[in-house]
Amino acid sequence: MNVAPIDASLVAPGAVSASSVSGNANADFSAWLGEQVRVTNQDIVSADDAVRRLAVGDPVNLHQVMVQLERARLQLELVVQVRNKLVDAYQDLLKMQI
Amino acid sequence: MDFAAVFDVSAAGMDFERMRLEATAANLANAQTSGTAFQPLRAIAASALPDSFDLRLAAALPRPLGAAIVPGNAAPRMVLDPGHPDADSRGFVAYPDVSPVSEMVRLVEIGRAYEANVRALGMARSMALKALEIGNER
Repeated sequence: MNVAPIDASLVAPGAVSASSVSGNANADFSAWLGEQVRVTNQDIVSADDAVRRLAVGDPVNLHQVMVQLERARLQLELVVQVRNKLVDAYQDLLKMQI
Repeated sequence: MDFAAVFDVSAAGMDFERMRLEATAANLANAQTSGTAFQPLRAIAASALPDSFDLRLAAALPRPLGAAIVPGNAAPRMVLDPGHPDADSRGFVAYPDVSPVSEMVRLVEIGRAYEANVRALGMARSMALKALEIGNER
């Protein structure tokens, strides 16, 4: 994950056109977030599939199912935490007095 | 995520312990099987070397790989029992060389080793969850 530090040019506007800097970082981050959401969905689907196979009596190892469930849970937690931080930052910006 | 690597290694360890349990269970179940058809089984893990090509390729931690259950080649245990249908000309019956005592010891060992793998995985999991708590106020 690459979060670009706040550019000095953003603090003092007019020196560099801000749109080029922030636009690039924005695309990077949204691509990363989209990828993480896709990975999370994939993890949950495969964990669901493992549980289903266990339920119908396929010879799957119990610990493999549990490991897959834990992996899905951690991935989901990561995405949820990133989302929480995003929403927090958005709320902070919204409440900002101008 | 890099914690997935620990998960994979611990899962491979659990796979191997399960395989050892299967071999031990088969040994105990067949301890009273007469004849030489059954040989005591042993689970073997060929540990992949840390610098082997596959692991380099996956940039993964070393783990028990290529685990297999192989029959041993111990001499059968001969018991004098002339009335047994499988007795040879001298009245001896061949049983597989399974020692219940050492199989029980192995059973305990397998259980503990499995537990240790579960513990390592649980620690990796709780470390990851703790890391995700960084920055939370509550």
